Amino acid sequence: MTLKLGRSAFADDAMLMMAIVNRTPDSFFDRGATWEEDKAFDRVARVVAEGAEIVDSGGIKAAPGVEIDEAEERARVVDFVARVRESFPALVISVDTWRASVGDAVCGAGADLLNDAWGGADPELVDVAAQHDAAIVCTHTGGVTPRTRPYRIEYDDVVRAAIDDTVAYAERALAAGVDRASIVIDPAHDFGKNTFHSLEITRRLDEMVATGWPMLVSLSNKDFVGETLDLPVGERLIGTLASTALCALAGARIYRVHQVVETRQTVDMVNSIAGRRPPRRAIRGIQ
Amino acid sequence: MTRVVLVPGVLALLPEYAGLEDPVAELRAASLAAVGWLGGEVTVLADAQGARVGAYLLAATSRSGDDPSYLVVGNGSAKRTEKAPGHFDERAEEFDRRLGESLRAGRPAVDVALARELWASTDAIVELAELDDDLGEGQVDYDDAPHGVQYWVVRWNSDS
Repeated sequence: MTLKLGRSAFADDAMLMMAIVNRTPDSFFDRGATWEEDKAFDRVARVVAEGAEIVDSGGIKAAPGVEIDEAEERARVVDFVARVRESFPALVISVDTWRASVGDAVCGAGADLLNDAWGGADPELVDVAAQHDAAIVCTHTGGVTPRTRPYRIEYDDVVRAAIDDTVAYAERALAAGVDRASIVIDPAHDFGKNTFHSLEITRRLDEMVATGWPMLVSLSNKDFVGETLDLPVGERLIGTLASTALCALAGARIYRVHQVVETRQTVDMVNSIAGRRPPRRAIRGIQ
Repeated sequence: MTRVVLVPGVLALLPEYAGLEDPVAELRAASLAAVGWLGGEVTVLADAQGARVGAYLLAATSRSGDDPSYLVVGNGSAKRTEKAPGHFDERAEEFDRRLGESLRAGRPAVDVALARELWASTDAIVELAELDDDLGEGQVDYDDAPHGVQYWVVRWNSDS
């Protein structure tokens, strides 16, 4: 089905790259590389050149730490969104926030998509999305408080729980007036989930795709990859791409990534294997 | 003589959460040794998750003898470090030090409100104290927080 992300629309089967450009001094992978606004802006230009259709910026790292209040969060992202919007009119701008007030401010500045990593912690976010005709990502987190780590969390069936929660959130967004084509679900690997849960979610992703809601996956360099292979943060690209390939085979539509080029190649390769995409240029043996 | 053992309710001890490497190998060895010292029939004091850890340890040991035996499943704060499940709380270390001392002395004493704030699993320890508030001096086989959560393995020989 068509994906309508704010100002932009994408065809039925398009698979999109959402490049992470954080506005934090301390996110786990980029560790402040784009904290300075000019550096962040340069990265936006770079990922756009690499083919990213979406840029996702957040002002608060997912891990626990110093509290960042609404004013500080707005200061980190709103002006940046305005600057990016002006320079890249066709780019989908996503903001990673759970707060309705921040969502409202960034949509006012030109954001197209509200990426709520914390499963609807602020129930008014859906209203903000509807008011601005913006898109929204509905995640499963097992109901944890924002910026907390999972501790001895268990599920009878983590996939069932992820489906139930994300679909409920999606339907709440629909009821609030968000366009059906603007609602995306995301199992949110590692959020409220241990490595076994994240592996199972990946293994059974087809069940979640079968709900019919377009899916986003955020796998990039996460701890479930690190624990599976016993590799530190900087060495998880291969494990991430292996996970990406399975998610692509299952039909995930949007990939939230640090590495655009590598992920695009992985997803394109899988789509061609799956018969959804012709090879780019074939002549060998058929000339 | 009543035999009492305290172990932490660590899910990573369970077979369904086994990795190729064991991140709690020392804890596992200490827990199995202590549980193996209990008598043939053991009463478990634990919440639902802790009971599964208790059941695993009991099934993994062959025990005999008639001494009344209790297996208590509980642990200290999960907020010991920046990377701990509950992140860092500066009160965690002192809380665990006091609780650990009371366990060693055989007079378990839990600040229940603080335990909740610090993500410590102490309900079964409170239950133990209600059953017997003077267990005699404990033998501490394990006392560490390798993953941001305070674990103890303690044995008591109680005369009551």
